[in-house]
Amino acid sequence: MHRSTFRATTAFAALTLAAAGCTSAPPSTGGDDDSIRYLVQQPEDPAALELLEEHIAEFEKESGISVELEALPMGNMRTVLQTQLRSGDGPDVFSWGSGPGYAGALAEAGLLYDMTAAYDEYDWPIYDFAKERVTFDGRLIGVPGEMETIGLFYNKTMFADLGIDEPKNLADLKAAAETIRDAGTVPIAASDQEGWQGGHLLSMALSSRIGPDGMDSLLNGETPWDSPDVVAALRIWKDFHEAGYLPESPTSISYDSANSMFYAGKAAMLPTGSWLIGGINRNTDFEVGYIPFPAEDGPGMFSAGLGSGPMISAGSTKTEAALEFVDFLVSPAHGRWTIENMGTIPAYPVDTAKADVSPLFAQVIEDTSRLDDSKNPLGYNIDVLTTDVFNQAMWDGVQAVLTGQQNAEQVAQTLETSFQK
Amino acid sequence: MSRATTAPTSHTRRTAAPVRSGRPRAGRLRSGAVRSGQPRATRRAQTRLGIALTIPLMAMIVTFFLVPLGSAVYYALVDFNGINPQPPFVGADNFVELFGDPKVWAALKNNAIWIVLGTAAPLAIGLGLALLMWAVRRGSIFYRVAFFFPYVLPQVAIGVVWGWIYDPVRGWLNQALETVGLGSLATGWLGNPDTALYAVLGTAVWATTGFVFIIFLSALRNVDMELVEASRLDGTNPFQRLWHIILPQIMPVFLMVTTITLIGGFSVFDIIFIMTGGGPAGATEVLGTYAYSSAFQLNRISYGTALALVITVLAVPFAVGLNRLQRRLSLQGTGA
Repeated sequence: MHRSTFRATTAFAALTLAAAGCTSAPPSTGGDDDSIRYLVQQPEDPAALELLEEHIAEFEKESGISVELEALPMGNMRTVLQTQLRSGDGPDVFSWGSGPGYAGALAEAGLLYDMTAAYDEYDWPIYDFAKERVTFDGRLIGVPGEMETIGLFYNKTMFADLGIDEPKNLADLKAAAETIRDAGTVPIAASDQEGWQGGHLLSMALSSRIGPDGMDSLLNGETPWDSPDVVAALRIWKDFHEAGYLPESPTSISYDSANSMFYAGKAAMLPTGSWLIGGINRNTDFEVGYIPFPAEDGPGMFSAGLGSGPMISAGSTKTEAALEFVDFLVSPAHGRWTIENMGTIPAYPVDTAKADVSPLFAQVIEDTSRLDDSKNPLGYNIDVLTTDVFNQAMWDGVQAVLTGQQNAEQVAQTLETSFQK
Repeated sequence: MSRATTAPTSHTRRTAAPVRSGRPRAGRLRSGAVRSGQPRATRRAQTRLGIALTIPLMAMIVTFFLVPLGSAVYYALVDFNGINPQPPFVGADNFVELFGDPKVWAALKNNAIWIVLGTAAPLAIGLGLALLMWAVRRGSIFYRVAFFFPYVLPQVAIGVVWGWIYDPVRGWLNQALETVGLGSLATGWLGNPDTALYAVLGTAVWATTGFVFIIFLSALRNVDMELVEASRLDGTNPFQRLWHIILPQIMPVFLMVTTITLIGGFSVFDIIFIMTGGGPAGATEVLGTYAYSSAFQLNRISYGTALALVITVLAVPFAVGLNRLQRRLSLQGTGA
């Protein structure tokens, strides 16, 4: 009896352990060769995911390749994606950022499929400047994502009512902000609760101050990040806060709250990116303008950057199907579709003459078309070009400046230290 | 207990040696001969049964405790960035670095504030509420459910809702302060480095107090009322009764609750992560959130793991000490 109890218990324990060991998900690299997994970041608007599914269905119908669409919140994307890729259970194609802190880290670990030959084979017309952002060690490891600009949205109706003209320089902006503040409205709905907005605030002030050459110099390490220009750019936001141009506590204001303030007419300006144009069009009943953050001596320039684009897992055994899908994502038809449905602009030429877009978005399309034009330069969005360590220091630093925990010089020093890591 | 351990079988009756009174001596038991009142076959069977019964538990301990612990120690001794499959061995470098990292000390200070206030406040408020509700019979179920309800809510939901309450634009806390003429106190609670930690702590206290209240209320039901009445007749005031009569009787429960809330102070993560993410600029950073951001936002898995091990090492002495004290008081017969 005891022996049988012993055996039964041992067998049960063994079965339990065996069962526990057998519950892992099957690898994605096996199975149907005409089926691939495509992972994207969860869009803010759930309807956008349905639209994408419908659009992908067209590809499936034409190619005979089945695409399993998956979406993850941005916050989980990095952890989950890296874990999946390392375990060999990653998606075949996924949408991911192109900076060194994003695709660069994956490329360094050999987790991305080398698409250099595919560029030649398919002759994708990606802008050269954009290709540089996905080139690591001479290899093209993905397709750069949509083009975005960062600037100031402003309530044209409110400006007109208060007799304010569109700011042409920093002094104009300050004068406008004072008029708006005195009228009892928040001049600039700057938010920084989440922290990442700080990178955009610094990007726009710094880009307009030193231009793309100055930004290049900083990003290449030729100019230190504790230089006077960086300190001055940080100080602009500190001064704006102390002058009452910003909400009372920007670090308490979430991104959504700031947007709501602008939509509701409780704030006259909103510093953010072109990705919000769809939301602005849907939520406002007043006319909206979009300008670069002004420089001291002129209108300044938009900060521009690239969002997430498609990449292929190095562990995928369905690279032919994956490449065919990426080719679809780089097609003129898909580019036109993203402009009209997603409000995003691909990093390759798309005929937008007959595109059905709002005037505000048409302006952004025109602005971003200059990204590849050295005669009409745009500034940079810093956080897609720098490492995670630097970005964290930048986000914390802008919060520290706005809350008075640190002064601009201290934050700039921290930026330089983080840049050198 | 199985039959084999309580009644001898026919086989044991034939072979059993005379049973000595008193404790068997360990040295003789190790010799291998028949030393107890049970034959070798029975003892073997008991041994096998004992092993069989402990295997599942041991398997769970190994799988869910020892292997993760060993894995954590390994990762703390290498430099793993979350991607490199063969991280270099760095020995104690991660631990050396964290002792010189000013952010660790700032986080530890916030942990200390959290441990002190986050333990004392729920204990004081929970005990006060329990004492108030002690004699209440009518509607007591309603009050118990009402006070306990926050404890069963997901921390994520609590964090999100309280984030709305503290919101300087749409939150009702500032609006309420304005309404009652205390508008000067209105601030951006979660974005102001002077108030952010305490605002999150207030939320945590709100969520924890119900648990403490319910446990204390249950313990108070077992307090000897004759002692309380006798002390009342002797002229004690309420504080004296609480200190000298009631608290000693519920002390093991008090220590158990203290242990749970105090250890929670070391490992606090979710409510802070949801409400402030450790910001603004690290003002609400604790060791848990710093370990997370190091590991998963900065890809310093090894450094984050080293921090997590430090949290464990800091918490264990408190847990063990309080547990021993609780056991000693229980053995002394003190408490509810």
